[in-house]
Amino acid sequence: MSERFIKYAMVAPGLLIVLVTALYPLITTFYLSFRDWNLGRSNASSALWLPSDGISQIGYLFDNYSRALSDPSMWNSAWVTARFTVVSVILTVGFALAIAVLLFGKGSVRAVLRSMLILPFAMSPALIGALWRFMANADFGVAGAISRALHLKNVDILGNATAAFWLVLSSDVWHWTPYFALIFIGALASVPKESQEAAEIDGATPLKVFFSITLPQLWPVLSVAMVLKAIFAMKVFDQVVMITNGGPGQATQTLTHFIYFQGFKYLNMSYASAVGWLLVIPTMALTVLYVRLTQRGK
Amino acid sequence: MNSKIMNDAMNNDANQSTPQASQTAFRAPHVFRRWLGTFGRGVALTVLFIVIVLPILWIVSAAFKHYVDIYKLNITFTPTIGNFFEIMREPFRVQAKLLNSVIVSVSTVIITLPLALAAAYSFSRFRLFAHKSMLVAVLATQFLPPVVIVLPFFLMFRDLGLYDTRTSLIMVQTAMVMPFAIWMIKGFIDQIPLDIEESAMIDGATRMQVLVQMILPMALPGIITAGIFCFILSWNDFIIAVILTSNNAVTLPVAMSLFNREEGDLWQLLSATGILIMLPIFVCATFMQRYLIRGTVAGAVR
Repeated sequence: MSERFIKYAMVAPGLLIVLVTALYPLITTFYLSFRDWNLGRSNASSALWLPSDGISQIGYLFDNYSRALSDPSMWNSAWVTARFTVVSVILTVGFALAIAVLLFGKGSVRAVLRSMLILPFAMSPALIGALWRFMANADFGVAGAISRALHLKNVDILGNATAAFWLVLSSDVWHWTPYFALIFIGALASVPKESQEAAEIDGATPLKVFFSITLPQLWPVLSVAMVLKAIFAMKVFDQVVMITNGGPGQATQTLTHFIYFQGFKYLNMSYASAVGWLLVIPTMALTVLYVRLTQRGK
Repeated sequence: MNSKIMNDAMNNDANQSTPQASQTAFRAPHVFRRWLGTFGRGVALTVLFIVIVLPILWIVSAAFKHYVDIYKLNITFTPTIGNFFEIMREPFRVQAKLLNSVIVSVSTVIITLPLALAAAYSFSRFRLFAHKSMLVAVLATQFLPPVVIVLPFFLMFRDLGLYDTRTSLIMVQTAMVMPFAIWMIKGFIDQIPLDIEESAMIDGATRMQVLVQMILPMALPGIITAGIFCFILSWNDFIIAVILTSNNAVTLPVAMSLFNREEGDLWQLLSATGILIMLPIFVCATFMQRYLIRGTVAGAVR
């Protein structure tokens, strides 16, 4: 066996599993998005590639897309996703940076807390969601305990659109901040200390040293982290289902949840696929950005 | 470069001078400001500790509470392990879901690791067609929204009669964890020097012999780390399982919805199930922490 054969034979199984599992759904949803197939109406098996059972309507081509673009619910979800992504990126990266600065350095307290950072990251997002809904409960949760201790009227966090949005957001920030803090602690360790010390001798305040010397040197890592977090935020699903299930009304319905509802509640596979592609496009744009940032200078 | 960053991150106790240390040295005359800084840092560390621990403590305590204590919101209560027996009875039968979770996650890891090891070795030691693009593409597949990926698989498995089976879950989850496994194991193999391999090859060893007899033992910590990371991903998965299962193959994270009943949420039972989800993961994470963080974080910013 030649080396040439062996190297591809070794890489093939793993690579094929990954690529086929990505490409098959992309092609299928792309095809479906130009058709009209509701699983509730046409329950045909193998309906995908057989036009005879009512899924191949000529002239249906862009109907799903034009419907999506004129669907207020879709725009609501897109707006929720956009807000969620922006705020989540800012809060996660901001807190993570603060925690990294706080925990970087000597001391056993810092070391213990650094090792605890793995816990929120390793926890199941669905469980975090369930736990957050539990804690927000006005009778049984932390929210209830606080309002009872302060003799306040019970607050219905899940019934309030703004409060529910921030609740879902906080669960996502809690889950991801420790992970990014660990990344930033690693990056802080690689920042050369000479320029910081020189600036301090010249009388710069610690805050000024951080913002004018340390932060610019962290920028390559920070920018990658922001793009990465934006991608993760656009994928958020588990917590939305577990905490609010999109509610109250559609106040916390992200695009992933909208697609899930269209596909598996209304069984409208074609419409779900079309909206799916509307989400895939910005995700791919961010992925290209991520690749450019990480491959910079290589 | 990156593994160096992570080594530093985990070992930065050992560094002689940290920014904080030198700051305090130069600001020594300002006693009050220093006291304020120390105090502020203490407050911040305490808040951080509470924010991390409180949610976990909340669910752990709820899992050992009687129903009445859940509502009373008492800090002190008489603990019970009754909830763990309750979730095993009808109609919940959580032990069946636990079994599903174990079978699916363990199978996923067992299938993934050898394939990922072979692919990682090839990526590490050879120049492949479109080498860098392939490697990046592997990682980038994980950025696609899972709901879009799983929907066609739902349709496919439905046609094949594999809907609501552990087999279908294992297939999709293997694909989900494979990229991380390839990247992590490649990172470890990259650090193994080439010359031992080359001398073995000159002595007539085949590639397979080199991989199994030399690389496998040397990369074992990396392989175990990748395995644990894949186990965590698979064990925690919700979206694939919620779409591909309904009854027979339901895993633990999906089973949590069992306690969301018409008469209200059964928080103490949900919490007990939550412990079953958390415990193995926390044990793994704590055990392998150092390597896990290095491997997980290194791939992301590289």
